[in-house]
Amino acid sequence: MPLSRQVFSVVFMFLIALPLHLLAAEPGGEYIAIRKEGSGKIALAVSKLDSRTTEESKLAEHLDTIIHDGLDYIGAFSMISPPLNVKNKGEGEHLLINYGALDSVGAAVYVCGAVTTTSGTMTLAMEVYDTSGAKLLFRKTYNGQPQQFRATGYAFCSDLVEFLTGKKSVFGSKIVFVSNKTGFKEIYECDFDGHGVEQLTNSRTISLTPSLSPDGRYLAYTDFSSGRPALYIRDLSDGKTSAAEKSGVSIDPGWKNSREVATTLSFEGDQAIYLITTGGLVSRRLTNSNAIDVSPSFSPDGNKMAFVSTRNGSPQIFIQDLPSGQASRLTFSGRYNTQPSWSPLGDKIAYTTMDNGGQINIFVIGADGSGLIQLTANSAENESPSWSPDGSMIVFTSSRKGVKKLYIMNATGENQRPLLPMDGEQMQPCWSLFRQ
Amino acid sequence: MNKSIKGIVFLAMMATAGCSSQTAVTSPEKQESNVTPPATNVPAASASPVTSAPSPSGYGFDRWQTGPLGDAFFDFDSSALGADAQAQLKQNAGWLDNNSLTKVLIEGHCDSRGTAEYNLALGERRATTAKEYLKKLGVAPSRLEAVSFGEEKPFDTNTGEDAWAKNRRAHFVIKK
Repeated sequence: MPLSRQVFSVVFMFLIALPLHLLAAEPGGEYIAIRKEGSGKIALAVSKLDSRTTEESKLAEHLDTIIHDGLDYIGAFSMISPPLNVKNKGEGEHLLINYGALDSVGAAVYVCGAVTTTSGTMTLAMEVYDTSGAKLLFRKTYNGQPQQFRATGYAFCSDLVEFLTGKKSVFGSKIVFVSNKTGFKEIYECDFDGHGVEQLTNSRTISLTPSLSPDGRYLAYTDFSSGRPALYIRDLSDGKTSAAEKSGVSIDPGWKNSREVATTLSFEGDQAIYLITTGGLVSRRLTNSNAIDVSPSFSPDGNKMAFVSTRNGSPQIFIQDLPSGQASRLTFSGRYNTQPSWSPLGDKIAYTTMDNGGQINIFVIGADGSGLIQLTANSAENESPSWSPDGSMIVFTSSRKGVKKLYIMNATGENQRPLLPMDGEQMQPCWSLFRQ
Repeated sequence: MNKSIKGIVFLAMMATAGCSSQTAVTSPEKQESNVTPPATNVPAASASPVTSAPSPSGYGFDRWQTGPLGDAFFDFDSSALGADAQAQLKQNAGWLDNNSLTKVLIEGHCDSRGTAEYNLALGERRATTAKEYLKKLGVAPSRLEAVSFGEEKPFDTNTGEDAWAKNRRAHFVIKK
């Protein structure tokens, strides 16, 4: 995406059609719709996909749902029903878009497309129009197997969001988590929106704290197969799994980069955080205290590590500067602060506080210790925050309905809602950074 | 109930193996159990007790603890050994002294409060603190192995201090 791209601040509201024309009409400039802070959402109208055959119309129906629900899910758009007669066949392949009708229903951006299948291959051809500028923004085709309709729909959504907001999107990202659905705690994954659940471990003991490497290739987790909690690293490309070499207990891995994962080991007596290679070899010790040091989470550049330590007494979040080895305390509010999660944007850390009544809630604090805000309240235990790859959302565990389930919220704490329907308890979600 | 039966079977096996003490075979009678008939038949097998260790005592022994090695209990978010825990460990060290071939696994457990990852570390602290104390009392470290289950395997799955107190423990399992 060129840095020189012109950025338009466009306030999408129903009643201000006139300024929209003025703002978006700059000739030659590309189009990014930036939502102003608190200015609401991008008004988006999406037509149902065109199709010719019965098979295509079934696919189109699936894709319509995936695209509509996916775009609605991320909270950046207000979804508007397109007006009747919004498009007509023009000369050749070109469509004639009824911009006036779109404008009158308040749609700032219009999406339409068609699905075709030829000899087993599905082609999704999509077009995106700027209503106020009365022009085509982009056109792109996506090819895939018909059974890959979900990934194909997400690929378009991802392009659309990046084009309109200038930011990476959550489409294509995965969430790994723990569930006791089978009677044992095993590790599962699902898409960013809770679809496509797959079971990844079948240890039939206790598997905990899954964490995906930034490139998505490795899954690190803690597992009791050997009778004790040990670190396992699975290469998802070939399924090969290595165990960390040291005896003793291993707890809660967090990736520093796609080649090194940090975890708590106790082979030297105290619980300290060590760096481990993807092959399971200990490369170096990171923390130096006689206390418990646990739950590492790294800044995006890998130079700083947030973690939990009892070096001052009760568990608190600390940040260690890795080049210098200097650690400083981050949290001073509350006496039981654990589960730090560093935002992929780098500026914030989410964590949990347990209050004296035993309630656990999620907070966000600046990496410099400023701007503490509380995201959950009065809803039993809310734990294990993990950021979406674009930093716009947080997945977490909540027992607000009695049983632990996964929930999603905006990074501001708004719009808290369940992630997926699944039997048993779900917990310890970890949102991947990568997109397929 | 199921636990009581297991405890009785376990003790009965130990008694027949001739490596048990008077203590072990009498302890089932102390339990709140209505499965007493099999237990009352056991003492005949223990005609030659090898040791004269005192009856196991301590928190829960009159109600729900089984086995010759009692649990050491902890305060919330603590791995410090209080007076009761120390007394229990001394008693356990005595039994281990009299059963010098026995190896034990020390499991550190936590109650369900707080967060699971931290509790896994805290559970290990509890197990290793108990292990270090037994070492100080002269038990060979090669006979002791510490492991943590954090809050993953609570003894009592209820909520409330009565259940939580039972779950904050270093638990001893005799290795076969």
